[in-house]
Amino acid sequence: MKSFPKLLHRFFLILFFSLFLLLFFNMFLLFLFIAKYTPNSSPWLTAESVAQNLTLSEDGYRLSAESLEELKEANAWAMLIDEQTKTVIWQTDNLPAEIPKNYTLSDIASLTRGYIEDFPTFTGERDDGLLVVGYPPQSFWKHLWPSWDLHLISQIPQFFLVLIACNLLLIFLIYLLTNVTLFRSVRPIVQGIQSLALDQEIYVSEKGILSEIASNINHASEILRTKNRLLKKKETARANWIAGVSHDIRTPLSMVMGYSGQLENDPHLTDVQRQKISVIRRQGERIKNLVNDLNLSSKLEYHMQPLHCRTENMISLVRQVVVDFINLDIENLYPIEWLTKDSFNCCMADVDKDLIQRAISNLIQNSMTHNETGCHIYVCVKQQNHTCQIQIEDDGIGITQSEVERLNHTPHYMLCDENTDHQRHGLGLLLVRQIALVHKGSFVIGCGSFGGFLAVLTLPCSSKSASDSFPA
Amino acid sequence: MEFDFLKQKRILLVDDEQELLDMLVSILKEEGYQSIRTAVSIHNALHVISDFRPELAVLDVMLPDGSGFDLMKQLKQNADYPILFLTACGESEDRCLGLGLGADDYIVKPFLPKELTLRISAILRRSYKNETPLIKLHDSVVDFSRAEVVKDGNHFSLTAKEFELLSVLARNAGRIVTIDALCEAAWGENPFGYENSLMAHIRRIREKIEKNPSKPVSLITIKGLGYKLLVEGQSL
Repeated sequence: MKSFPKLLHRFFLILFFSLFLLLFFNMFLLFLFIAKYTPNSSPWLTAESVAQNLTLSEDGYRLSAESLEELKEANAWAMLIDEQTKTVIWQTDNLPAEIPKNYTLSDIASLTRGYIEDFPTFTGERDDGLLVVGYPPQSFWKHLWPSWDLHLISQIPQFFLVLIACNLLLIFLIYLLTNVTLFRSVRPIVQGIQSLALDQEIYVSEKGILSEIASNINHASEILRTKNRLLKKKETARANWIAGVSHDIRTPLSMVMGYSGQLENDPHLTDVQRQKISVIRRQGERIKNLVNDLNLSSKLEYHMQPLHCRTENMISLVRQVVVDFINLDIENLYPIEWLTKDSFNCCMADVDKDLIQRAISNLIQNSMTHNETGCHIYVCVKQQNHTCQIQIEDDGIGITQSEVERLNHTPHYMLCDENTDHQRHGLGLLLVRQIALVHKGSFVIGCGSFGGFLAVLTLPCSSKSASDSFPA
Repeated sequence: MEFDFLKQKRILLVDDEQELLDMLVSILKEEGYQSIRTAVSIHNALHVISDFRPELAVLDVMLPDGSGFDLMKQLKQNADYPILFLTACGESEDRCLGLGLGADDYIVKPFLPKELTLRISAILRRSYKNETPLIKLHDSVVDFSRAEVVKDGNHFSLTAKEFELLSVLARNAGRIVTIDALCEAAWGENPFGYENSLMAHIRRIREKIEKNPSKPVSLITIKGLGYKLLVEGQSL
């Protein structure tokens, strides 16, 4: 809807431009028209010219050939009325017979303003009388009362300005009215299209001049809604299926892990048997991690995992995960070193504690899984540019740059929607990436400074301080 | 080990899978627990408790004749003893519901035997701490009933904070307890900013329990993470 006022503004500009163009165009046409008729519209000048070109000689009155030609072209006649006697003392040859030869003052006033026997007449002044030029009937229209109030004449410029302004205002109001009506019809349509783009449920009232478009939008919305519903249903069914399988696998797996864990410490077993049992126990743990990750990963993927975010001190949170691992690692096969600075003991972030603990556990577990003979694990929490960085690093077998590229670019089977043989397996790191994303953070992997694998989980810091989070 | 009396506690295990119950019994017996009874349903469990009087119950959530949460409510009506859920329902909502109803811990299947025994041991120590006898350390003995330390025949009283800190460390003997968990135990749910106070208290505890506080052998610092209390017979 932001573009609509812009559109309206643009239409206004076009309207005003059109109005002014129309005005100037009309004035131009009027000018052309008047210019064309100017030669014919100067009978008064002709009369003046004839009056001047009529000379009195010994032979009597004589009109110049030029004036005679002009009268002839206009099919006009001329006569001179004597000043004293008010009789015609000179005339052209073509003076019609019905034209009187004697005039009273009243006749002269009448012919000056109007006509003699329907012949429009025009006068030219002379010392010895009044020269009258007559044109054929129907050739000129004369205004019989050519007088205006002087006040009116002086007001004409203002009057025209007001007239133009009133006209413009009227046109503007008509335009505004039609546009507002159109705008009202278009607005729900535009809103509907915007909502469609945002995947929101909409219904546009199917009334008015744009009802057909509204109906089409409603239809499109219904199609989208149905498709979304089906998709959601499929996703829910898939996530539920995964949750169900992972639930049902837990009890039998408990027994596999329980007995193998117990047998591993049985003193009556030979070393070879104990090794085999150890493999069963370790693989059981791998299946356990996979089942846990698969369930959570599918829920995160299909937005079925509710987030319970609270402001947490990330240092305490990471420290607890590290200590839990150390407490369980009785053989000390994976010593964990805490590299966070002692002076840095507070880094607040709005996180789902369980999910973040799971992500960190997965990263530590990842180092353990890929280094079966043991390795050192280094954990460090830092704060950089309002973000909290959690680095998990090891000095184990590590990872090559090409493997990093492959991990970053090969689609995971959980997310891959194409039939391709090149899919990435293993859910641990995928889950960490998903957890980072739901917290608006990021996750990168690479080669660490200790020669092993490096994973960095970055999360935005909370705007709240520690004291806000823990009121006294 | 100073907590051997806890191995005498009566434990009730309830799960609909008899094979799982057999395995749990086997794990717990191997760990030294003597008095264990099992039940495969709520009905069965209620029958067992009529003459068994458990001191710890390990329950499954999904039982054939009802929910483990309901069973917990019924068990708690008769007597107050710790309850641990051991279940395949791993949803955080289930966990919150269980803990919210008063469960002492919640373990999601599958689990490692070591994890189960450690958690059971921690719950028992926490729940029956008043029955805890003397804790023998390398250079001294802590008597929680009198809140004092006996070292070389001399008696040193423990302050309230020292007692709390030492109790938490003793309940987790041999395991690291984080700085945050210790601060929370001593100063409640607002533990931020007490790190220096904690260090001061630890120093005073060491003066009471260690022969040479600058070279501690019982109360060990785990740099950046927390502290570990080693009872007699335990080593780094």
